[in-house]
Amino acid sequence: MKHKPTSLAEVVGNKEAIQVLVSWIKSWESGVPKKRAAFLYGPPGIGKTVSVEALTNDLKMEFVEKNASDYRTEEAINHFAGLASQYGSLFGGKRIILLDELDGLTGTSDRGGVKAITDVVKTAQCPIVLISNAAYDVRFLNLRNYCLLVEFKKPSTTDVMKHLKRICYSEGIDVDESALKFIAQRSEGDVRSAVNDFQALAQGKKKLTYEDVSWLAYRDRQESIFNVVRMILYGKTCASAKQAVNMADIDTDMLFEWIYENVPEHLTDPHDLANAMDALSMGDVYRGRIRTSQDWSFMRYVIDYMTAGVAMSRQNTKTHGWIPFKFPQRIQMLSRSKADRAMRLSIGQKIKRKSHISAFRASREVVPYLKIIFRNDVNMAVGLVRWLDLDPEMVAYLAEGEEKAEEIVKMLD
Amino acid sequence: MAIKETFRLSFEMWAEKYRPKTLGDIVDQKEIVERLKSFVKSRNVPHCIFAGPPGTGKTTAALCLTRDLYGGVYREHIMELNASDERGIDVVRDTVKTFARMKSIGEIPFKVMILDEADNMTSDAQQALRRTMERYTETCRFIMCANYSGKIIEPIQSRCAPFRFSHLPKEEHDHYLNEIAEKEGMKLSGEGLEAIFEVCGGDLRRAINTLQASASLGKPVDAKVVYSITGKASPADVRKMIKIAMEGDFIEARKQLRDMIQKYGVAGSDIIRQIHTEIFRAEIPEPWKIRLAGIAGEIDFRLVEGADEEVQLSALLARLVEAGSDLKSA
Repeated sequence: MKHKPTSLAEVVGNKEAIQVLVSWIKSWESGVPKKRAAFLYGPPGIGKTVSVEALTNDLKMEFVEKNASDYRTEEAINHFAGLASQYGSLFGGKRIILLDELDGLTGTSDRGGVKAITDVVKTAQCPIVLISNAAYDVRFLNLRNYCLLVEFKKPSTTDVMKHLKRICYSEGIDVDESALKFIAQRSEGDVRSAVNDFQALAQGKKKLTYEDVSWLAYRDRQESIFNVVRMILYGKTCASAKQAVNMADIDTDMLFEWIYENVPEHLTDPHDLANAMDALSMGDVYRGRIRTSQDWSFMRYVIDYMTAGVAMSRQNTKTHGWIPFKFPQRIQMLSRSKADRAMRLSIGQKIKRKSHISAFRASREVVPYLKIIFRNDVNMAVGLVRWLDLDPEMVAYLAEGEEKAEEIVKMLD
Repeated sequence: MAIKETFRLSFEMWAEKYRPKTLGDIVDQKEIVERLKSFVKSRNVPHCIFAGPPGTGKTTAALCLTRDLYGGVYREHIMELNASDERGIDVVRDTVKTFARMKSIGEIPFKVMILDEADNMTSDAQQALRRTMERYTETCRFIMCANYSGKIIEPIQSRCAPFRFSHLPKEEHDHYLNEIAEKEGMKLSGEGLEAIFEVCGGDLRRAINTLQASASLGKPVDAKVVYSITGKASPADVRKMIKIAMEGDFIEARKQLRDMIQKYGVAGSDIIRQIHTEIFRAEIPEPWKIRLAGIAGEIDFRLVEGADEEVQLSALLARLVEAGSDLKSA
């Protein structure tokens, strides 16, 4: 890439975000700051990676760039952890580590990857920059807590045009203003694709007109999740609602959650609401059928119900004003209670060893009763601790308070 | 408390302590027990499916059957596997197969594999299991315990003798609990017993856990104690949720539902059962009761097939919101 900025001054737009990033990096001079990593997010091609590269160039720092999906193996993680444990490098420069394309960690097999990265971030001794397109991805919920969040926004058409003009000038190309505007608008703020388009079209030419560029096809762009949900909840035809699925860059289950969360605010008429929820219920039945039959061709019905089924439920609801979309509360709740569930499950394992019940079921059905017993009857609790062979942490969890837990532990000796 | 300290320190979970040890100890599910006894007598057991709701004695019956069959050393001849913890195909390929093909030592030429919560196995794993069952029938018999036999693939069902367990009737439920209360020296009032049955609906394991937790409060167990123990799962809360829905606040009603499921671990089937009861107690025109009951039935059916309890039950809540608004404008 010939026209990639090498200094922050050349980066298009996002002045605020860059300011935040610079002052965070500079704060490392006076010791490790509270947030040891910066999480840059925003749509593709608007200068997230370029800004970090330009920044390290400007500040003359040692720059280690990695693709986040490299961190699947233990060896790579250890290497990463080693790098992150020191601020100064051998040659006296200051080090900065960039993990690009965090979204590249896909599926369940990489979940460990995100956790391993989070662990390194918690104790890092040098600045780490993480880059991702999707900030709301549930996998990053915990990681985000340890990061300074920096949003990169799409630069305006004017900003993109200015950038293209600079390139024209340095390449000695004569270009119509209308042609530049066309390219800039089409790119929807994606500077990288604008420059690429421009280079492809201007290749070997001395002059570029509107006619030369107008055929440029509309680039399919992954719409933000809000637009996708909007297309579904306000779809006028089955086709338009169904099409929204192709534009979402999240999986179907997650999209289902978004729709399920947002239906009641947007379909307020009781009949519309009941029909929309019924459509989701039927979609969910097909999800169950996929699970039992492992026949994924049923997915088409899940999608029919969750998109067209919901959209066609809109009969009486009056559209009034702008209603914001909400992040699925259920997902937030689930990930907040993750530690809690892990503890319940480990107690469940203990119960399973003594009782003919699965650890999962025990964690849901027996643990709540144990809590009541531990709160009320120390003697019975002591007996159960012995019988189930519970660890001190489990006792503390079940007793829901240090005093009670201590009382129980004392009686054990 | 009448119980001596020394005795109390040996406390275990009552649900385990009072689990019947032999088929003769089981007083309910009479027809099933008779058939199982005949297996013991002929010293032969076919592959079986024990289907029925939680806490109705499926695992207990399987354990009693094998104990009666093999005697005191029954543990050496059986293996218990829980499919919700180990549901994948690898378990079937490795653990199950290794156990199934080993020849049995002793008079009875086969061993017994108890597969608990078998309806949670993936269908891939079930397909693999089907072949294992066929190949090693001589050396291993399978007892599959499941809440819903419909979630077990057809070819396995056709190889198994089906046994359908049902919720305990009130008299037998009361009989069990009274006996435990007496042995533990606690006071349990008739009204407390009533409340336990209402909340647990004949799920004996839950009932016994509720009883034990109630006992930990150290006072006579009446309805108030039981409802305070079962906390958010009490009928009062389901009633409140229905009221909120029928008044038109779907979002709040769904929030309550979410809390019941996620925070308090109440099973979807329990919630819908209570909703069904409450519909007939609600102050709405008579024809509406049966209309709503029909909708509840439809959702109950979908719960079996669906993937997500909250999604299913909130569809029912949305219908209640609709009913509430229709009633207002009527």
